Amino acid sequence: MTKSLSYLAAGVAAGVMLAGLSEGALQAAAAIGGDQLALFSDVFNKVRDNYAEKPDDDKLIKGAIDGMLASLDPHSTYFDSKALEDFQTSMKGEEFGGLGLEVMMEGGLVKVVSPIDDTPAARAGLLSGDLVTRIDDTPVKGLTLKEAVDKMRGPAKSSVRLTVERGANKDLKEYTIVREIIHVQSVRSHVEDGDIGYIRITQFNQEAYDGVRKAFDHFRSDPGSSKLKGYILDLRNNPGGLLNQAVEITNSFVDSGPIVSTRGRNADQEQHYSARPGVNLSQGKPLVVLINGGSASASEIVSGALQDLKRGTLIGTRSFGKGSVQTILPLGENGALKLTTARYYTPSGRSIQAKGIDPDIVVVENIPDDLKGKVSSLGEASLFGHLKNGTEEEKGSDAYVPPEKDRDTQLQAAINLLHGAKPETLKSPPAAVSSQ
Amino acid sequence: MNRKVGYLGVGVVLGAAVTVGAPQALSYMSPAAYAAAADTYRQLNLFGDVFDKIRSDYVEKPDEAKLIEAAINGMLASLDPHSSYMDAKAFKDMQVQTKGEFGGLGIEVTQEDGLVKVVTPIDDTPAAKAGILSGDIITAIDDQSTQGLTLDQAVEKMRGAINSPVKLKIVRGPKKEVKEFSVVRDLIRVQSVRSHVEDGDIGYIRITQFTEQTAEGLKAAMDKLHNDIPADKFKGYILDLRNNPGGLLDQSIDVVNAFIDKGEIVSTRGRTPDETQRFDARPGGDLSGSKPLVVLINGGSASASEIVSGALQDHKRATLIGTRSFGKGSVQTIMPLGQEGALRLTTARYYTPSGRSIQAKGIEPDYRVLEDVPDDLKGKDDMKGEASLKGHLANGDEDAAGSQAYVPPDEKDDKQLAAAIGLLHGVKPSDTTSAKVDKSDTTKVETPSAAAAPTDAAKPN
Repeated sequence: MTKSLSYLAAGVAAGVMLAGLSEGALQAAAAIGGDQLALFSDVFNKVRDNYAEKPDDDKLIKGAIDGMLASLDPHSTYFDSKALEDFQTSMKGEEFGGLGLEVMMEGGLVKVVSPIDDTPAARAGLLSGDLVTRIDDTPVKGLTLKEAVDKMRGPAKSSVRLTVERGANKDLKEYTIVREIIHVQSVRSHVEDGDIGYIRITQFNQEAYDGVRKAFDHFRSDPGSSKLKGYILDLRNNPGGLLNQAVEITNSFVDSGPIVSTRGRNADQEQHYSARPGVNLSQGKPLVVLINGGSASASEIVSGALQDLKRGTLIGTRSFGKGSVQTILPLGENGALKLTTARYYTPSGRSIQAKGIDPDIVVVENIPDDLKGKVSSLGEASLFGHLKNGTEEEKGSDAYVPPEKDRDTQLQAAINLLHGAKPETLKSPPAAVSSQ
Repeated sequence: MNRKVGYLGVGVVLGAAVTVGAPQALSYMSPAAYAAAADTYRQLNLFGDVFDKIRSDYVEKPDEAKLIEAAINGMLASLDPHSSYMDAKAFKDMQVQTKGEFGGLGIEVTQEDGLVKVVTPIDDTPAAKAGILSGDIITAIDDQSTQGLTLDQAVEKMRGAINSPVKLKIVRGPKKEVKEFSVVRDLIRVQSVRSHVEDGDIGYIRITQFTEQTAEGLKAAMDKLHNDIPADKFKGYILDLRNNPGGLLDQSIDVVNAFIDKGEIVSTRGRTPDETQRFDARPGGDLSGSKPLVVLINGGSASASEIVSGALQDHKRATLIGTRSFGKGSVQTIMPLGQEGALRLTTARYYTPSGRSIQAKGIEPDYRVLEDVPDDLKGKDDMKGEASLKGHLANGDEDAAGSQAYVPPDEKDDKQLAAAIGLLHGVKPSDTTSAKVDKSDTTKVETPSAAAAPTDAAKPN
C-alpha cells in the first residue's frame, strides 16, 4: 500500500489526501516499460563508465528525474528528502522556530514587510521597512532570501542578533532576539465597516478550514448575527493548497450540491465532492469573493463552486487558471514525487485549466506607475508545457492588491455591493480592463 | 562491439569514427564493487520507480519514449553543455554533417522574413547547372509551400536520395517573376576548405569546420596553391580558423600535420585508458615546405580549431593573429545506442603539446587584432565562450569569458586578414594595427554580452 497526498497549488506547496496504488499494477507497468528503461540504464552506465570525470550518481539520477518531470507539465516535480520535509512543514501550516518577521529582498538586503503580531520580533520593536544588514555575524549582502530566512530560523529559545538599518537616516540598530515557535496564520479576519465579516485566506494549508471556522465564531459575537450584512472572502494572490481544505471551506458557505469533481486516467482519481448538510456556517448571508490573477488552484475550486452554485458574487480580475490536481507519491527514503494525476471540474462541469474563472463583476485596481507591467500574473496558459484545454485559453490578469485599504478598489466594490450598491455601478470602465 | 566516435564541436553536431572500444563485462567484483553496484541499483531503482508512477498515475497517458528522452537529456544536461542525446533523426543529421556529403541540390540557403532564400548555388552542382541564382526566393518544394516551414524542415525537403528529382518554385528579382525548376539531386560535398591566392604571393586557406573531407580538402588546396604561386615568390600561408566551431579530432590532427613534420600534436586524458592518448605528427606529412604561417582565430574558433592553433603556437610553427579563442577543451565521443540514436558524451579533456588545457580559457593570439564592428552589430558580435556556458567543466580559477567573433564580409575591411598579410610581407602587426597582447590590456570590446552563433547562418543543402 502506498500512501499518497494530493494537493493543489501554483507555486507554493501544500496538500493532503489519500489514494491507493497496488503493487501488482506497478510490476505490470515495469514489464511494459522495460525497453525504455533499458535504454535509460544503458545511457546511465555509459556515463558512469566513460565520462571525463567521475560523475555523482545521485546528481545524474536527479537530473534525469527532473528532466522527465519537466517534460510533463510545470507542476510535476521531484522532492528529495530535504525538499519533502520542507514541503510537509509548509502543509502543516507553517510552524517553525523563528522571529516572526515577514521579509522580502530589496537591494540585496532583507527588508521587513511586517513583524507578525505577538511574536519575538514584534515585541523586540522591529518595524516594517527595517532593512536587516547582518544576522549574527554574517552580512546579509550576498545571501539569497532563502539563505537569510534559514539563518533567522532556528530552535526555539536560541537567540539571534540582528543589525538593522532604519528610516531615511539609516540609523543602525542592534537587536538580540530569542526565537519562539512561530505559527503562520493562513486565515486572517476582521470586521469591515462595522457590519461585514472579512476573511482572507493566504493559502489552503491544513489549518485553513479551522481558521475560517474561528472567523465565523468571531463574527457571531462581533458584530453579531443580526448586524452582519454579509461576508467578503478574499482569495486574491492565494496560490492554492489542499483539496480537502478547499472543499471544507466551500461547504461552510453552502448546504448542499456538488463542490468539485476530479478526473484522471485511473478510476481512483475520479472523485466527486459534495456539500454535507449541517456544516454551513454562513447563515445564508450574502457573500462576495475577491479573486485576481494570483488566485490559483484550490482558490479556483472555491470560487468556481461558489459561482456555479450562485452562492457568491465574484469581484476582481480573472483567476490564474490552474485546473489540475497533484498527488504526493512517497518514494521511501528517496523523498517523494509530486505528480499531476487529475483535472478538476466545477459543479457545472467546466474545467478552468489555462482559462481561469472570470469574475461576475470585473474591477481592476489602480496600479502605481512604478509597478505597471510587473504585477500581472501571466497565468497557467503561459507556463511552458501546461496541460491544454481546447483552443480558448486565456493568459494574463492583474494580481496587484494595494497595501492601503482605502485605495483597494476591489475591496471597496465588495463593501459597496454588500451595502446595496447596484453591481453595474461597480464595474471598472472597459478601458481600464486591460488584458496583457 | 561498440563503435565510438570522437568529436569536438561547439553548438553544431559534428563527428565520425575515431576510436573503437569494446564494452567491458565485470566477471569478478570486489566487495567495494558490490557495494557500488548495489548503490547503482538503488539509483536506477529510484528512477524506475518514478518512471512507473508516471506511467500509472499521470493525468494523461504519457509518451514513454518522450519521457525517457527527457530523462536522458536531463541527466546529460547535469553534466556539461556538450553532452547530449541524439534521437535517430538527430544522429543521422549529425552523420551527414560530419561526413560532409549528402544527396541534395547544392544551394546554400538562409531564412529571411519566413521565406527560404538562396544565398548562393554551389559551383558545379545540380542547382547551379539548373540556373538557380543568389537571391532567389524558394516558395514551394514539390508543390508544398515553404511558408511556415523552419529552415531545417525546408532543407530536409530539398535533400534526398541521389538521382531523385525535386521541383522548386522560385520567385526572382524585384519583379517577382515566378519560375519552376525540376532538379535531379546529386551527391553534394560540403566544402569545408576554401582557398585562394592572396596578394599574388600568399596562400590563403579557410577551414569552416572539421568534417571527414577536411584533410583531403586541405591537401587539394595546398597542391593548388603550390601550382598557382611560383615557389620563389611564395611568402607563406594564412590559415583562417575564425568562427570555425570545431569537428573531428582526427581531421584536426591531420591539418596540424600538414604544417609540421614531427612532435606531439595533442594529447587527450579521460578516466579510461582508451581515452588517454597522445597523437604525434607522422613524418612526411608536412606539405607546407616550411613556409611561414599565420593562423587567424577569434572568439568563434573552438575545439578542433583550438587544437590546431594551440599545437601550431606551441611548436612556434605559426603566428596567431586575432582575438582569444572560444575555450572548449573537451572531447566528446559518439556512442551509438542500438537503433535509438546515439549518446554524445564528454569523455576527455585535451592538452596542447606544452601540456596546457585551454578549457574555459581559450588560446590567446600572439597578436591581438580587433575588427571594427559596425554600430548595429556592437554587443552582438561577441562569443561568450565556454566559461560562460552553464555547467561547463571548470579549469582552475582562470576562466575567461567573452571574445570578439566578427569577421567583416568585405575583405578590404578585414583588419585581422590585413595584419596577417602584413606580417607575411615583413610588417609586424604591432607596428601597424595593434599592440602585442598584454594581459592587462583587456579594455576593449570583450564584454560577455551577447553571443553570435558559432556557425554560419547559411545552411548548405
